[in-house]
Amino acid sequence: MGSGMWSTDVYDAADRYRRKTGKSAFSYSDSGARTVHSALDPRDAMRESRDSAEHPRSTPIAVLFDVTGSMRNVPRVLQTKLPQLLGLLQRQGYASDPQIMFGAIGDATCDRVPLQVGQFESDNRMDDDLGRIVLEGGGGGQMTESYELAMYFMARHTVTDSWEKRGRRGYLFIIGDELAYPKVKAREVARVIGDDMRQDVPLRQVVDELTRRWDTYYLLPAGSHNSGNAKVLDFWRDLLGQNAVVLDDLDAVCETIALTIGLGEQAIDLDEGLRDLDRAGSGATGTVSKALARLRGGRRAEVSTLPAFRDTGGEVTRL
Amino acid sequence: MRHVAVVDLGYGDAGKGTVVDWLCATRPVHTVVRFNGGAQAAHNVVLRDGRHHTFAQFGAGTFHPGVRTHLSRHVVVDPLALAAEADHLTSVGVPDALDRLTVDGEALLATPYHRAANRAREIARGADRHGSCGLGVGETVAYGLAHPDEAPRVADCRNPGLLRRRLTALRDRLTAELGPLDAPPVEDCLPAFTGFAGRVAIVDRSWLAGALRAGTCVFEGAQGVLLDEWHGFHPYTTWSTTTFANADSLLTEAGQPGGATRIGVLRVVTTRHGPGPLVTEDPALPLADPHNPTNPWQGRFRFGHFDAVAHRYALAAAGGVDGLALTHVDLAGPGLRICRRYDTTDRLTPGPPGDLDRQAALTARLMRSRPVYDDPPVDWPSAVARELGAPVVLTSHGPTADDKTPHGPLLAPRPLPPVRTPAEASA
Repeated sequence: MGSGMWSTDVYDAADRYRRKTGKSAFSYSDSGARTVHSALDPRDAMRESRDSAEHPRSTPIAVLFDVTGSMRNVPRVLQTKLPQLLGLLQRQGYASDPQIMFGAIGDATCDRVPLQVGQFESDNRMDDDLGRIVLEGGGGGQMTESYELAMYFMARHTVTDSWEKRGRRGYLFIIGDELAYPKVKAREVARVIGDDMRQDVPLRQVVDELTRRWDTYYLLPAGSHNSGNAKVLDFWRDLLGQNAVVLDDLDAVCETIALTIGLGEQAIDLDEGLRDLDRAGSGATGTVSKALARLRGGRRAEVSTLPAFRDTGGEVTRL
Repeated sequence: MRHVAVVDLGYGDAGKGTVVDWLCATRPVHTVVRFNGGAQAAHNVVLRDGRHHTFAQFGAGTFHPGVRTHLSRHVVVDPLALAAEADHLTSVGVPDALDRLTVDGEALLATPYHRAANRAREIARGADRHGSCGLGVGETVAYGLAHPDEAPRVADCRNPGLLRRRLTALRDRLTAELGPLDAPPVEDCLPAFTGFAGRVAIVDRSWLAGALRAGTCVFEGAQGVLLDEWHGFHPYTTWSTTTFANADSLLTEAGQPGGATRIGVLRVVTTRHGPGPLVTEDPALPLADPHNPTNPWQGRFRFGHFDAVAHRYALAAAGGVDGLALTHVDLAGPGLRICRRYDTTDRLTPGPPGDLDRQAALTARLMRSRPVYDDPPVDWPSAVARELGAPVVLTSHGPTADDKTPHGPLLAPRPLPPVRTPAEASA
């Protein structure tokens, strides 16, 4: 008698019923909108990840993806996959009180919507932000997007209790397939974000500022225009080292992010994480294993078993 | 108009799904009505072209265009699993399953909290596992009995404020009892349940009367009578009435008492998934079931010789049938025997419903009993009919509807009045 063969995931189910009503996940964009939704407008905005009674030790996680044409269908696939991320993190307990923000990156030299950033949410409200993202679909063909503008925003327009109270960095995942511009241009910052900068800031300086507070990863997915292009990977390896990761199956994006966080939080080692995925019935272990193999060596010495409990002081106590 | 009610006279897995599919393939059926169980049901239907679906909440007639499913108030409804099941049906060429579904608003709602509590309890039982499927169906029923006015129900999905309060109370009670549960926050659950309410027709109990007037309905049972909450072998039972009782009460309420032909389904091989008595179990039987793999909650699928003693008991507990459907007749071979008596007794008698001490004593007795075998019958349908005192009206020799043979007039397809909508029927 009986089987548990039909998935009983709440995040999945909400998405499935939404699809069954024929509503596109990118409903805002697909309804013809070509300007940034007010909820995602970076202009004069500050994005906060705060502790609360219900979420006393927030872990901020930002996922920003390139929505220009070179990414082809990648944003739409991401949109269907990313809502599962919170559930995955919560089920596996890899991070305390995850708060997730989604955003989108375009090209400030030619796009109408070069930067879109949602709020940090600890529930499904983040799905709403995904639905409000405008897909550019154009792209200039110069193999460059305004990643530096997004990194500038993350560096100077985010506040997290994780950092302020505990000195712990948040996680930033940028998913894209092109290069950043060499400088953050004052003119673009003024137009898109509203800050009055005297002069342009070199990319390297922004990355240094960003990575002080954000553990930053670049994911280069298969299926995008420049996947497999060594120039792109080399560019990001130069900026972020081993944190530039090739992802050969986009379906594994949530698992890759979750395990990266699990490794970063020292909640698991790679083998344990892959076993967790396997037990959960994920088909992504191969991709994830390949993508994260480079992270393994650097972190192995710090890795311990799963936390037995979290004590009142907030630090992870281990078996 | 004659409806049909199908129950399993074993431990489940006898082939109710394939029988219901055949009924819907051979006559106009308006609605398949589920009257017990929940998402843990697994009724496998295979089509001639090889397509396959394991029906859990949708009626096993869903492959046939126009055939509806009604989840009555006796079903534990799991909207999360329902969405996934609808997706799979779409992938096998049935995109409109949700459009053909009605759900009684009074039905209990299975939630991630019930599921997590179910698993926590089953794990705590260790070696004494009950064979739960880990989907929280029993947990949902238990909570519904303990807190009838506060248990989340299907109709609550239309009222997010009320649903939030009920989910929170549920989560808090179960957490107080069992400790932290592996389940998402209430706020995360709400979109799934409200999405369900926005997509699926939620009806009241008067809907069924209209369907029963509009055309032939098939009442599809879940699990098996030997797992019945009152008549099964306690504690290896399900929290569900698996006899005809719920179908009978629904028919009576709708003004059609006794309006269904009662079919009991049996396999020539007596099987069980999960722990508990299976007197004729024989690991040497060279059988495997492609649709019942070993799983972490129930372990491996168990095979035994035809246990006429247990099936006679099930037939008595169910209150008799008009006919039997005998499935897997193609598996009968020289190694498969029939057990007409145990070394301890040749007859098990059902007691009054609710006497679980008596049922537990019966279980203990079965655990000590050894089967006494007779030589394999030459003609299985006749042998089974003789042992159970009921005619075999359908035999099944393979997985598809084409592999079924009706015997006698009881289930023979015959012309029926054209299907009318409930509005036309009441006009």
